[in-house]
This record gives sequence, C-alpha cells and structure tokens, in this order.
Amino acid sequence: MGNPELRAAPREEVPLDIAYRVERFLALEARVLDEERYSDWLTLLTEDVRYRMPIPRNTKRKNRLGKSTLGGEGLIYDETLPTLRQRAMREETGLVWLNDPPTHHVRIITNVETFVGDQPDSYDVRSKFMLFRSRRDRDRISHVGWREDVLRETAEGLRIAARTVYLPERVITDKNLNTFF
Amino acid sequence: MSKFDYSKLVDKEEALQERSIFWDPGIHQEELKQIFNRCWLFLAHESQIPDPGDFIRTYMGEDDVIVVRGQDKQVRAFLNACSHRGNKVCQAEWGQTRSFTCSYHGWSYDTSGRLAGVPLEEAIYDNLDRSRFGLAPVARVENYKGLIFGTFAEEGPSLAEYLGDAGWYLDVLLEASPGGLELIGTPYRVEVPGNWKLPVENAIGDGYHVTWAHAGAMRVVGTLASGRSENVLGIGAENSGVDLSGAVEINIQPHTVLSSLDGQSGYALYDHPEKVLEYVEQNRPDVVNRLGEVRGKKLYGSETHIGIFPNLQVIQGLNFLRVVHPRGPGAFEVWTFAMVDKNMPTDAKEVIEKNVRSTFGPAGLLEGDDGDFTEAITHSAAGYATRKLKGWLGMGQGRKVPWDGPGEASPGLVNELCQRSFYEQWQRTMMAASVHDILPKSRATAEPAVESAREVVNG
Repeated sequence: MGNPELRAAPREEVPLDIAYRVERFLALEARVLDEERYSDWLTLLTEDVRYRMPIPRNTKRKNRLGKSTLGGEGLIYDETLPTLRQRAMREETGLVWLNDPPTHHVRIITNVETFVGDQPDSYDVRSKFMLFRSRRDRDRISHVGWREDVLRETAEGLRIAARTVYLPERVITDKNLNTFF
Repeated sequence: MSKFDYSKLVDKEEALQERSIFWDPGIHQEELKQIFNRCWLFLAHESQIPDPGDFIRTYMGEDDVIVVRGQDKQVRAFLNACSHRGNKVCQAEWGQTRSFTCSYHGWSYDTSGRLAGVPLEEAIYDNLDRSRFGLAPVARVENYKGLIFGTFAEEGPSLAEYLGDAGWYLDVLLEASPGGLELIGTPYRVEVPGNWKLPVENAIGDGYHVTWAHAGAMRVVGTLASGRSENVLGIGAENSGVDLSGAVEINIQPHTVLSSLDGQSGYALYDHPEKVLEYVEQNRPDVVNRLGEVRGKKLYGSETHIGIFPNLQVIQGLNFLRVVHPRGPGAFEVWTFAMVDKNMPTDAKEVIEKNVRSTFGPAGLLEGDDGDFTEAITHSAAGYATRKLKGWLGMGQGRKVPWDGPGEASPGLVNELCQRSFYEQWQRTMMAASVHDILPKSRATAEPAVESAREVVNG
C-alpha cells in the first residue's frame, strides 16, 4: 500500500438490517479474539479465506519502478485457512513464553461501512481498528489501521471470506505482530 | 583514552561478558566510533540499484546514508545530510532519481553527490564555492560479488581483506549459479527493545535457544505438508537429546559460520520445500564443479548462517539476509531481506519469499519470541548490581573437530563458539587504537584445547 490508489468511493450501501448484523458480527469477532478463543475465531472464516497485510512503503508519490528488485507487493501476512490455523495452534501450545503471563488485548472496531459486494450474498466491509496490547508491567502498544473485508452470507451466518489489513507503520515498533487483526 | 576497560568487560578465557556492554550509553557512543565508523558495513545488493539514478537509503550505525548509482554507473554512498544546514536530502526509502533536493532551502545534489543547484544563488551569495559543499561521502564503497559494503575509514583493510575467509563461505550463495544472488521484495523493518549485539549473536550462533525459546513455534512450523524434519538443528523433539555430529560452528575471525553440513536441512522448516529442493539438487553438480566437493556437497543447501562482523547475517536455508542497526544502546532495528538465487524458477523464489514471511517476517512464527530476552538482558542492566553481572558463553569451549574449509571448527549447532568469536572481535575492535588493528593479527587462531573437553566425533 505504499502509494495506494484510492478506489473510487464505493458503491451501494446495504440495507440497515444487514449493516447492523455486520457491525454486530465484527464486534463479536473482536471479542472472541480479545478472549483468546482462537479455535472459535477460525470458525468465523470461510474455507477459502485470504488474509493479507501489505507493507506501507515510504517511496515518492511518483516513484518510478525501474529494474530494481526492491518493492513488489511486500506482505507481512499472506495467509490461508491452514496457515491461520497454524498460527492459532502456536498460541495454543502453551509454549509461547512471551504470552505467559498473558498478553492482554483490546480491539476497538469502528467506522464500519458496509457495501453491496461483487458476489451475490457478499458484502464489502471497511472498518477502522485499534488493537491495544498490554504485556508485563508496562509493555503497552497500540496499532491503528483499517481493514477491507469481504463478508459472505453462509448457512451458519456471516463469515469472513477475505481480509486485507492496512497497518500504516513502515517500521513495526513492537516485539512481534503475532496476533490477529 | 577510553574510560572503559574493554580488556575486562569481555573475558575471553572465561567466556564472560559484563552486562554493562549492552546497557551503558557511554559504551554505545564508543561503539559508534570504534565499530560503526571503521568496519565495513553492508549497504545494499547490486540487484536493488541496477541502473543509474537508482538509490536506497540505509544506516551505517546511526548515520542515515544514501546509496546511489551515479550516471557513470558507479555506486557511491553519502551521509543523508544537506551540507548547508543538515536537513535530510532524501526521505524516500528507495527509488530512482536525478537529484536529491533538501526540503529546507532547496539545495540539490546530483547522483554523484555534487552540489548542483542553489535557489537564488547569484543574487544572494558572493562566496559560495559549490565544490566545497557536496554531500559528505562514505570514504570507501566496494562490492563483493554483488554485495555492496561501505566504510567511513579512509585507510585500513580493503573489503576483500576485511571479509577474508568469509568470502569462501559467501561464495556458496554468491556463486551458486551464474545468476548470482538477488534480494527480492520489500525488506521487513522491525524495531525491538534491546541492544544490537544480542540479535546479532543470537542469529549467528545460538542454536541452543531454538527448540526452547521457540518451542511453541517449533511445534507448528513446517507441519502443513511433508517439509518438516522433526530433528531440527540436531535437537530432538522436546529437547529429548542432541546430536552434535555432522554440523559445525566455525570461527573465521572476525566473522563466523555455522552450518548443518547435510546439504539440505536448510529447508527443513518450510511447509512446502519441494520446489526449492528440486532446484538445489538440479543445480548441485554445477556447484560442485564450480566450488568443489566441500562447498558443493556439504555447504550448498545446508542451513548455514554467515555472520559478517559487526551487523550482517547471511542465512542460507531460511534464506534471508539480515542487518541489525543500532538505535541507541537500548533498541535496534532489524532489516530482513528475502534472498534467492537469481536463476531459480519464479515459483521456487515465491516459496522462499513466503517462508521468510512466515518464519522471520514481523509476524513470523519464530520472529516474535526473542524480544523479551533482548529487552531483559539489556534493560535489567539499568540496575547497577545487575549491570555488573556477567553472561557466560562457555558451551563447547575447547571442543574441536576436523574441518576441510577455512577456520577453526567446533562440533554441533548447539555450541557457543560463534558467539564467543563475536565478543572477541567486538573487544578487539573497541580496543584497536588504529583501523589497521581491527582485524586479528593471525586469522582463525584456535581456542586452546580444554583438558576436560570431550572428543566429539563428527560424521
């Protein structure tokens, strides 16, 4: 997202009842993650979920690409359901010393906008987040950014089919980003 | 004359390091002068700035530096500071340009560092000699087979002399194919609390921590398909035992190497190593032809960590190149670049890039575990009593094993030879009065054999 091309201001908003369900769903999801219920969280994803986080690059607005090997998409996360499951399993081994005593998480999801999706029964959802992490005596870090999700209607209810997390931090000032945004 | 007695802060014989060396701001200031202002430091790879006008910004110690290929195709490096008042002349991390223009008064410099434009020059100056006001150059910039290094030292060893026998090991990556090495994509940048020396010696030598510190990650990495060998680094599951045969840590002062020497386990932590392994095996006969049996069969494809003093780690297998930049004594910024053989097929390169992301990217399964240790080792030393404590790196001291390559080898990847070597070189550089004294007088002096050291058979 170095110099993101802003997509045209999106499209048709969904009816109020759907918008409300989407907001409740995102709040539920955030709480499930805050409560470290990773197995439950995985059930909120579709089998074909894509979960990505690009790197914001500090290049000039009119940067010429040239033949340099630098650049490219640059991703911090590029996940599918199996790799997200792998990450969740790591947290649940009980062997991640960094999270014992536990890291406390608070996720605040706001500015939710829900639009009619490209596919039937899917919604393009944008939201802003603050992810606050508190560890040990005074290890406190906030990450602020936005997300572009595709939520899909399924027999089980709303599910996340795609998420792109935009974290506007070129240099990550945190011991890790081993968490879910 | 330094107020610090470096001969006591690191005790080579006892393998002890006083913890003040991680915390003390005064020592850090001397490091910037003795180490980062004199040693050869990694700047960039050729593949990142192939054409005239291509540039990348980096750091040498805490100095902000622009590395740029001039219109004459020569690579130069400059302090990122306007010669008028000192503002940065470049805020972009890389790109292509004809000039660098200061945002304060608009002075601009061409890609060879000359002052090329001064707004209103004729009307306001009678005494401006442009030739005196170019960007301050990094004294020497040299290239070792694509790896570009710079030093602020006008004199002293050339890059080839500085790298010494490390070149023999680097060549396994740099000459594995006629295409050479390539660094691809956007480097990861993470700032972590802790002293810069700790992540360096961790990456170049600490095999001991892998299955314990990363225990949670080690349960899951590489488990999605058939890539995983349970017996990583010779350590059995759950620390059930250790096999020191086969692998070595090598002291090639001022640098270090560790290697599994099995020709393939570098890819043990991949979920899907097949495409990479296929390329490696297909290419191996060429490597044997070009570089001989030892490098072609034992080093090529192995998990091999080459530590170039002070802050560069070239890691084959996990396949990334990493630079640790100090940010004061109490923090460091790690840059991680995915590293591939240029001739590899695209799909194999993608496998490597993906694996670097999932293991040692900012959200890597393994990356996140070490931050607590670097922070505690550094910042607990704010306490005076703690600061006087000493860390001990005595593992494997005096154990030797025959080795067909340059340097002194000690058996196993669970060994602290490389870390001892790092602190020995740190001490030497901190004490060296002249840049001509930063290298050991005779390379690869063997540690004296210790009576009690058990003989370990190296398969």
